[in-house]
Amino acid sequence: MPERKKTEFLRTSYEKFLPFVSLVVLAIVLSAFSKHFFTWQNISSIIRQHAQIIVMAIGMTFIIASGGIDLSIGSGMALAGICGTVLMTMGVPIVWSVMVGCVGGFVCGAINGLLISCLRISPFIGTLGTMQVFRGLVLVVTRGLPVDVGIPRSFGNLRNGNLFGVIPIPLVLILVIAVVGSLTLRYTRLGRYCYAIGSNVEAARHSGIRVAKYLVLIYAVGGFLTGLAGMIEFSSLVSGQPTAGVGYELRVIAAVVIGGGSLMGGEGTVSGTIVGALLMALILNGCTLLGISDFVQQIVMGALIVLAVTFDQLRRRRLGGDGL
Amino acid sequence: MSQPILQMLGINKSFSGVRVLRDVDFDLQEGEVHAVVGENGAGKSTLMKIAAGIHHRDSGQIIWKGEPVEITSPHESLRLGISMVHQELTLAQHLSVAENLYLGREPLRQKQLGIIHRGSLFQRATELLAENHFGIDPRATVLRLPIAQRQLVEIARALAADSEVIIMDEPTSSLSAREAGEFFRVVRRLKAKGVSIIYISHRLEELHEVADRITILRDGQKVITAPFASMKMTEIIRHMVGRELSAMFPEKEAQVGSAGVPPASNLGEEILRVENLSRAGVLHDISFSLRAGEILGVAGLVGAGRTELARALFGLDRIDSGKVIVFGREVQPTSPSRAIATGMAYLTEDRKVTGLALGLDISANVTLANLKRLVSFGRINLREERKVGRQYVARLRIVTPSVRQKVLRLSGGNQQKVAIAKWLFAQSNVIVFDEPTRGIDIAAKRDVFDLFVELTRMGAGILMISSELPEILGMSDRILVMRRGMIVGELDPRRTDQEEILRLAALGAERAA
Repeated sequence: MPERKKTEFLRTSYEKFLPFVSLVVLAIVLSAFSKHFFTWQNISSIIRQHAQIIVMAIGMTFIIASGGIDLSIGSGMALAGICGTVLMTMGVPIVWSVMVGCVGGFVCGAINGLLISCLRISPFIGTLGTMQVFRGLVLVVTRGLPVDVGIPRSFGNLRNGNLFGVIPIPLVLILVIAVVGSLTLRYTRLGRYCYAIGSNVEAARHSGIRVAKYLVLIYAVGGFLTGLAGMIEFSSLVSGQPTAGVGYELRVIAAVVIGGGSLMGGEGTVSGTIVGALLMALILNGCTLLGISDFVQQIVMGALIVLAVTFDQLRRRRLGGDGL
Repeated sequence: MSQPILQMLGINKSFSGVRVLRDVDFDLQEGEVHAVVGENGAGKSTLMKIAAGIHHRDSGQIIWKGEPVEITSPHESLRLGISMVHQELTLAQHLSVAENLYLGREPLRQKQLGIIHRGSLFQRATELLAENHFGIDPRATVLRLPIAQRQLVEIARALAADSEVIIMDEPTSSLSAREAGEFFRVVRRLKAKGVSIIYISHRLEELHEVADRITILRDGQKVITAPFASMKMTEIIRHMVGRELSAMFPEKEAQVGSAGVPPASNLGEEILRVENLSRAGVLHDISFSLRAGEILGVAGLVGAGRTELARALFGLDRIDSGKVIVFGREVQPTSPSRAIATGMAYLTEDRKVTGLALGLDISANVTLANLKRLVSFGRINLREERKVGRQYVARLRIVTPSVRQKVLRLSGGNQQKVAIAKWLFAQSNVIVFDEPTRGIDIAAKRDVFDLFVELTRMGAGILMISSELPEILGMSDRILVMRRGMIVGELDPRRTDQEEILRLAALGAERAA
């Protein structure tokens, strides 16, 4: 028995740390290839470039752990971000506008949650629908034009600014959200019920968990972070772009899955997700440093997602086939 | 004795270093029904999965009709003529019965393009089903068939593959008494046709219906193979558990008194009263009451409305009329969370589908229905939670390396104990147990019954729904019999027997009298 326990422990920890180990190896390889890679400047710029993805991926971790999915976050991010930037053009202070952006995302997420829990639409289809609706709303509100007149330049600090002159503000945001998100998943009822609902929604319901309420909350939390991501995205150019966020849902979902989240629900951690997102970010960064074109990068990204899901499947098959 | 059709000699098998089969010999004669019994984990399923090509033996020999063979895959085993009918049914639910029967072996109209000859497919299926008196429409979608008929489809599929040996793993576990009776007729007809059957079952009392010989396994080793008629039931049980079971059911203090004393005298106050509960088409005018310290057995055939009654009480299904009174106060059963708040609990009949979050660990499952007990300032006390987990593991004798073990990895009996622990932790007082011993072994059953007695001593009232009549008779203080959504009788377990319960359940009060 102890023998078995030990190999099992090694196996599971190996699986747990595989993405992390890949990340470290990749970082070492990249620094060998390019002197520029391991500079604070390059690392900060990676963080700034991918902050919106990481922030959304933390929210998506909750959703995927609960057995759901949100395809609408790319559009939701644009919609929430446009709400915030439009307010800024009307002279509302930046802080308030950013908050409204987050609340806008929260509302988008809550709508998804309501569709899924109250109307019992499958998350995939429901959010496929709202993905179109949100994008359409953005285009209606902006008439397809960027929102940039009269936005204060200082809005750019959300993405480009530094704390104490060196620490990128997005990094600070990510750290705070990651810690709060991680503690929430581990230590609160919301987090526990995410896993319980994702593992077996009927068992959760029979255990007296108000599944509908928690689903709305889970999607709303994801939406809130989507809204914040939208504000970060738009602060880079200090303008609201109606076509922003197209295709982001895939990158975000990929980050969660690479980081150990299971699309079947019941699994996923914030730390894993962040590692997954960073792994993708480094690969893209490496491609850029090595002069590989944007087009090829897409192929690399896609291949990585397929690889991650394959690993997940192999592990699942082994778990299923093992035992007596 | 003639040449056996299948022989397995000196079979050994380990999983990740744990020996699950040790030098097991097994043989099957042509046209016999050979029962294989043993407690959970005794290795009976593993042995049969080796014969069916699902697992591969570490050492030993398999001899098919006198020739040594290698069975390396289910495909290979099927080609020889061995089919396994699994406990979890493996049909393509959205396809028709006929399509399932010939799945992978469809008659083709045009071979290269793989165009299926539908006419011939349905004709063959119709003939096969009629020939074996299965009474199933070959065009029906499997999804719409009751479980009992799906079971028959599985067997028909084995016949369609011209199998000479059919391995049946717990075939009656989800059948009602009547369906099981029908099923045994099918088994006997197959036997008469010369089909050899290996019959794995927990339900010892049903074996006399079909078994010719019996093989008993314990802890991965064969204890004995003998003609079934030569074995007494107590002997079989002794071989299975390796010790004499003093009694299947614990002594209840409430029943110790002489028969003259009404059992009510030892019971507490009324904790649940149901008045004229109805749900259109499902439940009609149900009234009964449950007292603290009482076990109220609910008997009936499958489809009598027992589970539906539990669901209605627990707020899972809407009720159309009637009153539910818990601890003297009328409640509206509208949701499980409300029901739990009033002190109710519902252990569902299918722990994997509605009872447990299989991907979570033991502690998380135990605390799921009452997590707020461990929360202060919004934070779950994980250390306390693990402590709770360890307490219940010890108290319920759950066999596991750690409380962090995923419930998925536990055996059926231990999973059931976790599901029960959830309601103990929820401190429920009105507990509905729906088929509490389904698919668990004898020792675990006894543990579960002991727990029932402990619960009643602490003042809980238990509504025990069960299809196992010995269990109903052995455990209950009173027995309700349901039929077609109505309560057709209330019986005293000391003055009734299985026959009377069955008569009521099958025929109703008027015709049974």
